[in-house]
Amino acid sequence: MKEVLLYIDPGSGSYLVQMIIAGVLAGVFYFKGLWWKIKNFFVRAKKDDATNGIK
Amino acid sequence: MPEQIHHPASYKDPSGFIFSYNGKYYRQINLAYKEDYELFISSGLYSKLKEENLLIAHEEINKNLTGSQNWYSTLLPRQISFISYPYEWCFDQLKDAALLTLKIMKVSINHGMILKDATGFNVQFEAGKPIFIDTLSFEKYDEKKPWIAYRQFCESFLFPLLIEHYREIDAQKLLSIFLDGIPVGVTSKLLPGKSKTSLSVWLHVFLQNRVGNSQSQQKNHVAFSKTKLIRLIDHLESTIRRLTLNSSHKSTWNHYYDETILSQNYLSVKENIFRELLPTKIEGRVMDLGCNDGYFSKILAERSDLVIAADFDSQCINRLYLSEKSKGHSNILPLCIDLTNPPPSTGFRNAERQSFATRAQSEWIAALALVHHLVLSKNIPLGDVAMQLADLCSNMLIIEFVPLEDEKSQQLIRLKTNYHKPYDVPAFESFFGQYFDIVERKPVPGTERLLYCMKKK
Repeated sequence: MKEVLLYIDPGSGSYLVQMIIAGVLAGVFYFKGLWWKIKNFFVRAKKDDATNGIK
Repeated sequence: MPEQIHHPASYKDPSGFIFSYNGKYYRQINLAYKEDYELFISSGLYSKLKEENLLIAHEEINKNLTGSQNWYSTLLPRQISFISYPYEWCFDQLKDAALLTLKIMKVSINHGMILKDATGFNVQFEAGKPIFIDTLSFEKYDEKKPWIAYRQFCESFLFPLLIEHYREIDAQKLLSIFLDGIPVGVTSKLLPGKSKTSLSVWLHVFLQNRVGNSQSQQKNHVAFSKTKLIRLIDHLESTIRRLTLNSSHKSTWNHYYDETILSQNYLSVKENIFRELLPTKIEGRVMDLGCNDGYFSKILAERSDLVIAADFDSQCINRLYLSEKSKGHSNILPLCIDLTNPPPSTGFRNAERQSFATRAQSEWIAALALVHHLVLSKNIPLGDVAMQLADLCSNMLIIEFVPLEDEKSQQLIRLKTNYHKPYDVPAFESFFGQYFDIVERKPVPGTERLLYCMKKK
C-alpha cells in the first residue's frame, strides 16, 4: 500500500502536478503553433505556385 | 433550536451551512465568508451565473434564523424538488455536471473568483439540465496559486468518467463508496495500460499518482499564472468532451422494446390502457420504477410536473437522459436505481446522504413489467415487493402483473424452480390488498397480463 500523506492539504497535494501539467500543455501549445506556422508556410507556397501557374 | 442546526450533509465548509426552517431549506453565511460573498455579488459573478441558469438563484433574508454568533447573512435558495446523488446518475449526467463545473470555473476566473471545491454533490438536475447549488463555493482568485479543487474535480468527475470510458463499467456507482471521489491510486490501477497512450490520462492520472503524494511539492514555491490555469481548465474540458459511453456492448435491458416480440402491438395496446388509468393532470411527484428507456415515463411527464424515472440499467438511463436532453427542457429525472439494492443512507453518521427510500416517496408510482423480475429473477417474495411499493407510494399505484404463463416469465424460470410460490393473480391481489385498494383491473388484450390501478389505504 502506498504511503498516503494524510496531513497534506489536498490542494497543496496537487500543486506540483498542476505545475508540470501546465508546463507540458505550454509545450504542446507551442509546438502546435509552430506546426501550424510551418504548415501554413508550405500551403501558402503551394498556393502561390498554383496562382503563378494560372497567370 | 436543537444542538445540530445544520443539514447533516452541510458540515465541511466553515463559510456557512444549509439548515431547514419551517419546511424550507436556507443557507446561512458565516462572518468568515463575508468578504468573499461581497465580492461574489459586487463582481457581478452571481448575476451572470444566475442569468445563464448555471447557479441556483436565491433571495437574501436579513434575519438570523439560527441565532448563531457567526451569522452574517441568510439566503433562501430556490427549492429543489428532488435531490439526487452522483452515484445515481448515468454517464452523460456526470459528464454534463463536470462540464458545468468547468464552465462555472471559467466564468468565475473572469470575475476574479475561483471555485474552492468541485464535488459532484454541488450539482443537481433541474428541467433536464445540471445546475450548481453551492453558493458558498466561490473565493477570491489569487493568480499565483493553482486550482485548490483540482484533485477533487479529478476524483469526483474525471476519474469515474475515464474508468467508464475505458472499461465500460458503471464506474459512477463507485462514488457511493468513495464519497469524496475515486482516489487517483485506485483509478490508476483500474485503467487499462492502453489508456497511458492518451496524454490526458497520463497527465491527470498516472503523473498525478506518481507526484501527487510526493513531499517535494511542499518545497515548491514557483508561482502559477492565470494563463496556466485557463490552459489547465480548457484541457480538462476538451478531455471530458471527448469521453463517450461505449454502448456497443449489450446491457441487460438496452433495446428491450426494440427486440421483444411483444414490441409494437403490445406497447400501443398497453399505452392506451395506461393512458385511460391516468388522470389528465397528476398532482405531486410521480415515479416510474423499472422505466427502461422511458417510454411510459414520457407519457407520465405529459401530465405531471416531475417524473423520477428509475432503472438499474445505466445504459437505458443514459439513452433516456440524452433523448430528454435533446428536447432542451425536460420534467423527467432519469436515475440509475437498483430496487433490490437502492442507495442507502451513507456518509458521516450515516446521515450525510439520504437513502433512496427516504427521498423517493411519491404520490403516483408506475411499476410496469417489473414485479415478475423482482419475484422470479431476484427471488424477492411477492409480499415484500408489495411492502416496498407501499413504502414508496403515498397515493396511487399503476402496476402490471405478468403471470407465470407469460412468455417473459417462462424465460425467467426456464432454468429454475426455486422461486417463491404462489405467484399468481390471487396471491398478487391478496399481498397488494394489504396496503392498497384495487380501483381498476384491466387485462392487456393479446396477453395474460393485467394492469391495475390501486389506491393506498
